[in-house]
Amino acid sequence: MKKLVALMLAAIMLLGIASAVAEDVTLNLWTIAVESDSSYQTFIDAIAAFEAAHPGVKVNHEPTQNEQYKIKIKAAMSAGTDLPDVFFTWGMGFLGEFVAADRVLNLDEYYPAYQEELPVNMTANASYDGKLFGVPYTMSEVVLFANMEILASVGYDHIPTTIEEMNECCDALLAAGITPFGVSGKELWCLSEYLEPLMIKSVGTERLIKLYNGEESWNNPDVIAAVEAFQNLVNKNYFDPNAAALGNDEVKTNFIAGKYAFYQNGSWNCGDIDKSENPAKFQAGLFPVLNADNASLYELIGGPNNTLAVTATTEHKEEAVALAFELGRFMSDADYKSGANLPCWTPDPDAQVSDLVSQVADIAAKSEGMVLFGDNFLSADQANTYLDYIGLAYAGDITPEEFAQGMDDTLYNK
Amino acid sequence: MHRPFSYKLNIFLFLLPALILFVGILIAPIAMSAYYSLTEWNGLGIPKFIGLQNYVELFTSKSINIMRALKNAMLLAVLSVCIQLPFALLLALKLSRHVKGERWYLAIYFMPVLISSVVIGQLWIKIYNPEYGALNMFLRSVGLDSWTRIWLGDKNVAFGACLVPILWQYVGYHMLLMYAGIKGMPADLNEAAMLDGCTPAQVSWYITIPYIRPILRVSVIFAVTGSLKSFDMIYVLTNGGPNHATELPSTLMINLLFLRNRYGMGSTIAVMLIVLCFVFAMLINLAFKEEK
Repeated sequence: MKKLVALMLAAIMLLGIASAVAEDVTLNLWTIAVESDSSYQTFIDAIAAFEAAHPGVKVNHEPTQNEQYKIKIKAAMSAGTDLPDVFFTWGMGFLGEFVAADRVLNLDEYYPAYQEELPVNMTANASYDGKLFGVPYTMSEVVLFANMEILASVGYDHIPTTIEEMNECCDALLAAGITPFGVSGKELWCLSEYLEPLMIKSVGTERLIKLYNGEESWNNPDVIAAVEAFQNLVNKNYFDPNAAALGNDEVKTNFIAGKYAFYQNGSWNCGDIDKSENPAKFQAGLFPVLNADNASLYELIGGPNNTLAVTATTEHKEEAVALAFELGRFMSDADYKSGANLPCWTPDPDAQVSDLVSQVADIAAKSEGMVLFGDNFLSADQANTYLDYIGLAYAGDITPEEFAQGMDDTLYNK
Repeated sequence: MHRPFSYKLNIFLFLLPALILFVGILIAPIAMSAYYSLTEWNGLGIPKFIGLQNYVELFTSKSINIMRALKNAMLLAVLSVCIQLPFALLLALKLSRHVKGERWYLAIYFMPVLISSVVIGQLWIKIYNPEYGALNMFLRSVGLDSWTRIWLGDKNVAFGACLVPILWQYVGYHMLLMYAGIKGMPADLNEAAMLDGCTPAQVSWYITIPYIRPILRVSVIFAVTGSLKSFDMIYVLTNGGPNHATELPSTLMINLLFLRNRYGMGSTIAVMLIVLCFVFAMLINLAFKEEK
């Protein structure tokens, strides 16, 4: 009897061990791809493809809305506990703070296996001191979306190419009772999508980078000219007068519904615009050059930004790294095809994309310089101060000179 | 046989779990916040001790502008005491007089307290929408077009617009507190006053209100400290905007903590809020004591 009991106990133990060995590895993935996000379905598909290719590995996808996500990931990184295995992040300043705190896994030893498909120049915004800490999957740029039907109604068959022509076009639109530009004044980053292109087209790529790095004073005529041009758009009533109460989603919906002639925002909006009833009436272009001595039309705001990173504390390093790279590759391709974003990974040469995405890709291909979005380039504290100043400039609470001086004083203590 | 040591040990053992919870949940976080308020810390690295620099910066920095947030919080506190509480008291007095459908009215007035602030916030965002919002539509329909505003986007009116739902939401809460106090009054007090020829208004003024003074004190404390700590409704309605016009200390704290990664400065605001709430609670207690 004793032997029987002993045998049974041993069998139970073995069964327990066997089931433990066969237990799935579960990887936690945090992203901003909530259901309303244009990348939501792509993430679902990418995860399904990854799970199919890696039997025994399950991915627990936890999406959180953009602004709340920033708080959530920072709080988790701060606590250092309950961190996901893989997480979505923006490059440069945002990821940089986590890297500096040793919360992110260095991917240098894994990168060579993917280098052929993910060119080195695409990894710059996820690299710190020459070391790679993230897998960029899509890049984006600020473009000027235009409703060509509305423009045609006031006699324009193209997006204005000079500041003077743009002003004339906007005046004609106003006279016809149409609001030229849609912008969310409630979400300050949307205002920066208007100011930054003006800035780069006034000071040029290299100097804008120097400004963000604090290597050049903001208090110079070219910065002031850019802020003046920005405030002119407000003062001439080119923006929706209700902008201050509108969120970006509402503004985008209004633009697609034909309320505005132009909507300047990230290229990630292509997917939503393409889903409209008549996407053929929309075109992507660029805001005209402000100072031709310093900048050209194809100096752009944007770059590789959407990134997946692996936490340094993950218990399943190999699987998590595979998830980051393979999801990145899948997302790059799928987001490109769906119009959600431009690819960081070498795209499928036979990919069928919409006209709008082709136009955006064409703009990127002609790029003569690119600077990442200011609020991603700068550290969190600097970025929010910078956005505050943009909000104040938009509201007319400060002059262009005060904006420039404030940036110098507050950000760089000059 | 009575054994003092064993008796004290029992008391200690029975109180220990509550003590651990109290220290762990309340005292320790306050102590930690007080420590972090003396440091420069981005939430990730090692905190750097900087003494009282955060406190100096908090009250001198134009970028943070704590005085604007405090001014808003104080305005909210004053209006809570001067508008919300009298209104709640009137409702409680009225409903406690056996009004027909008393229970229904109680439930209706208390309903906003039960509904999530996020839901109420979204509801008021729709009401305030400059294009299709009920408020502007009403004003246009009665020929008051010039009164229409971008209620949550105009820095001159945004905070006022936020105050309405904040004050409205908690009227029912204070009403219920006062109603419970009034219902707890011995019936013979009112009856005696009525027999002596008092009108209902005189009974309320001379008998009921003095009787529920302890409840009123609690309501005032809750209204004032609640105003200082107020966060959720503003966060949903404006998130402190436009251009920080509706900022409260708590929204500013969240901004500094989680958007700017300034955990030291965020903790400084947390400590300031704790001190303010404590001081105001003491002052209110003192005021009620003196009246007594």
